[in-house]
Amino acid sequence: MTAPAPARAVTAQGHYAGAVSRFLAFVIDLLASTGVFALALAGISYAAQIVSGAQIHWDRQDIVVVVLFVAWEFFYFGYSWAVSGRTFGMAVLGVQVVRADGAAAEPRRGVVRALVFPLSFLLFGLGFLGILVQRERRALHDLIAGTAVVYAWDARAARLRFLAREAESGARPGDASPLTGDAQAAPER
Amino acid sequence: MTTRRRITDPVEQLAQRVAERVVELVLSVLDVNALLAQVDVNALLARVDVAALLNRVDLNAVLAQVDIGALLDRVDINDVLQRVDVDALVEHTDLGAVIARSSGGVATEALDAGRSMSVGLDQFIDRWVQRALRRKHPAPSAPRALLDGEAAQ
Repeated sequence: MTAPAPARAVTAQGHYAGAVSRFLAFVIDLLASTGVFALALAGISYAAQIVSGAQIHWDRQDIVVVVLFVAWEFFYFGYSWAVSGRTFGMAVLGVQVVRADGAAAEPRRGVVRALVFPLSFLLFGLGFLGILVQRERRALHDLIAGTAVVYAWDARAARLRFLAREAESGARPGDASPLTGDAQAAPER
Repeated sequence: MTTRRRITDPVEQLAQRVAERVVELVLSVLDVNALLAQVDVNALLARVDVAALLNRVDLNAVLAQVDIGALLDRVDINDVLQRVDVDALVEHTDLGAVIARSSGGVATEALDAGRSMSVGLDQFIDRWVQRALRRKHPAPSAPRALLDGEAAQ
């Protein structure tokens, strides 16, 4: 497998993250948090069966399950944003929540962001449209919480790893990927 | 002999004073820069045997007089490092192989590739949105604090 030389990504570090990165991060978070929630419910059922012998069947329509799921999601996103400014999915995609001016976001902003996050889903997800059309790529929940999302991964190290692999395999970096061509023409920080 | 010296000494002194005065007058009238402009320095240097010249120089003695500490104090190491083409260094030296063997595996490679591609797609979509919106002024690329940090680098 040959990775593209992330020269373009190097120059983009600290810039506002775009829709694709943020959407993919959200999908990963949704899968991860739902998986953990399902595992937790299964664990509770198993423990209850061992202790009392009674079997618990969780129903997705059950209001208790819904309330637990919503509370868990709020905790998952709120805690992650408050503590580190990034969830698991955001860490995978290398994006991070910061204050609107670019400084590190305070924990309370992370909590507020998680609280108002569902608002962006209202009206057919119009709140997310800001990621595409707003000048600073901020969604509705970003505007309310005073936050923004930026690229924050070590693209420089990734580029060096890519060049090192290319040097070792003896191939020219320009042949590897369409991402590489104009990326190398871009000025690097 | 003594009489002869007595006669010649003042004459010699007079001649020397006259010569000095003449040289001063000539130099004051002469445009040295114009004169030097007419000299072919390259031709002059071509006639100099630099190797022979260097053989006569005791470089160790010269270097012993150099204060390396003071010299290094005047060098901006960060500026020097900024000029190093790390990409070329990695590509053309064994450093690349060392990095390749010591850092990451397939997972790291996949992660780097995924992140790079998502950044590329982000920028692709952003370009089309900017065109569709026909913005007169380009949107800021990063928050102010991060842009300032970028400028400082």
